[in-house]
Amino acid sequence: MMSADPAREMTASAPKGPKKESALGRAAIEGLWNNNPVFRQVLGICSTLAVTNLVLNTAVMCLALTGTTALSCLTVSLLREWTPHRVRMMVQTLIIAFYVILVDIALKAYWPDMSRNLGPYVGLIITNCIIMGRCEAFARSNPPVPSFFDGLFCGLGYSFVLLLVAVPRELLGMGSILGIPMPYFSTGWDKWIIMVMPPGAFFTLACLIWALRAFQARGEEESA
Amino acid sequence: MRDKPWYPVLYMFVMTAFFSSILIGLARFTRDRVELNERSAVERAVLECLAVELPARASSLEVHRVFLDRVSGPVPAYGGAYVLREGGKVAAYAVPLDGKGYWDRIKGFIGIASDKRTVTGISFYEQKETPGLGAEIVQPPFRSQFTGKRIADGRSPIGIMPVGAALGPSKVHAVTGATQTSTRLEKIINDGLLRWRSDLASAGGGQG
Repeated sequence: MMSADPAREMTASAPKGPKKESALGRAAIEGLWNNNPVFRQVLGICSTLAVTNLVLNTAVMCLALTGTTALSCLTVSLLREWTPHRVRMMVQTLIIAFYVILVDIALKAYWPDMSRNLGPYVGLIITNCIIMGRCEAFARSNPPVPSFFDGLFCGLGYSFVLLLVAVPRELLGMGSILGIPMPYFSTGWDKWIIMVMPPGAFFTLACLIWALRAFQARGEEESA
Repeated sequence: MRDKPWYPVLYMFVMTAFFSSILIGLARFTRDRVELNERSAVERAVLECLAVELPARASSLEVHRVFLDRVSGPVPAYGGAYVLREGGKVAAYAVPLDGKGYWDRIKGFIGIASDKRTVTGISFYEQKETPGLGAEIVQPPFRSQFTGKRIADGRSPIGIMPVGAALGPSKVHAVTGATQTSTRLEKIINDGLLRWRSDLASAGGGQG
C-alpha cells in the first residue's frame, strides 16, 4: 500500500510538472556524472591532488567547496543584470573570495582544530577553477535557482571524486580511514607511504579517471 | 547609466565596499573568540609538554584554570621558559620552540624536568606541515617518543634519526617519509634548547 502510493503519485504528477523536475535532475546528472568537473572537465585538479591524503580533511574541504560554489553561483547570477561585461571576472573573484573568507573566519572562530588541520587549503579554495568555471559558463547567463543547483551539483560531483581518491590513499598509505585504524591494513599491511605523498595522488587520480571514463564510454555506446 | 565609462568603476567600488564591510564586521565580531582560541592553544601546549593531566575533552576555560593554577611565565630568569611549580618548587620548564618547518613556521614547547635533562614531553600549537606526513609530528606516536629522553650536552641536545636506526638516550625516530620536516624540526628543537641553556646561564641559572 505504502509503496504503491508514491509510485502512482510520480506517474500522475509527471505530465504536470516535468519541466522543473527534469531541470533539477539534469543539473544533477550533468554535475555528478556527464560533465563531472574532475574526471570530465579536469578542473580543480590542484586541490584534488593536494588535500586527498586524509579523508577527514578531504570531507571538510568538499563541504566548504560545495557551499562556496553554490553560493557564489547564486550571487553571480543575482547580479548578472547589473555586472558590466568587462569587469565580470573581477566581480566573480570578489564574490568567491568573500565566501571563502567567510568559511575561513567561521572555522577559525568555531572549529579551531580543523582550521589548524586544513591550514592554507581553505584560502586556496578561491583559486579552485571549478567555482570560476561554473560562474563563467553557467551562472552569469542563467537565473539564480538553476545556477545555485548547478553549482551545488558540480561541488558534489567534485566531492565524490575527491572522496574516491582520498579513501584508497589513506587506507593504503596510513592503514586507516578517517583516522580510525582498519583491520588488516593497520596491522598486516606494509604501508605504502608513497600513497600519502604527492605522487600517490597522481597515481590514484589517473587510475580513477581511466576507470570512470572507460565506464562512461561504455554507457554512451549502449545509448547510441 | 550603464553605458557610461565610469559605471564599471563605480560598480566595482560599491561591490568591494559592500563585501569587505561584511567581512570586516564579521572578523571584528569573532576577533575575541579567535584570540581566545589561540591563547588557549598555547596554554594547552604548555600543559601537554609538561605532562600535566587534563580532564578528557577539557574546555578552554578548564585549561585556563589549570594553567593559571600551576604554571607561570614566560620567566626571564629561567631563560624565557614557562615554569611548572609544585609545592613552591620548580618541577619542570616548558621551553618555547619556534622556527621554519617545511611549509611554514612550527611553534611549540618542549618540557624539561627540574634536573634540566629529562624531557617530560613535546607539543605543538602551530604548524602547516603536509597532512598525513610532516603533520604527523603532532600525533601521539611521534610525540610520545620524547618522554623520558635525556638531552645531551654540546651542540645537538636531541637527535632525530631515520626509522630503523639504533637510538641513544637523546635520540628519537623521524616520521617516515617526512625527511624535510624531521630535519627542520631537529634544528628547531636544538636551537630552542641551546638558546634556553645560554639564557639560563647568563641569567645566573641554577636557582631552581
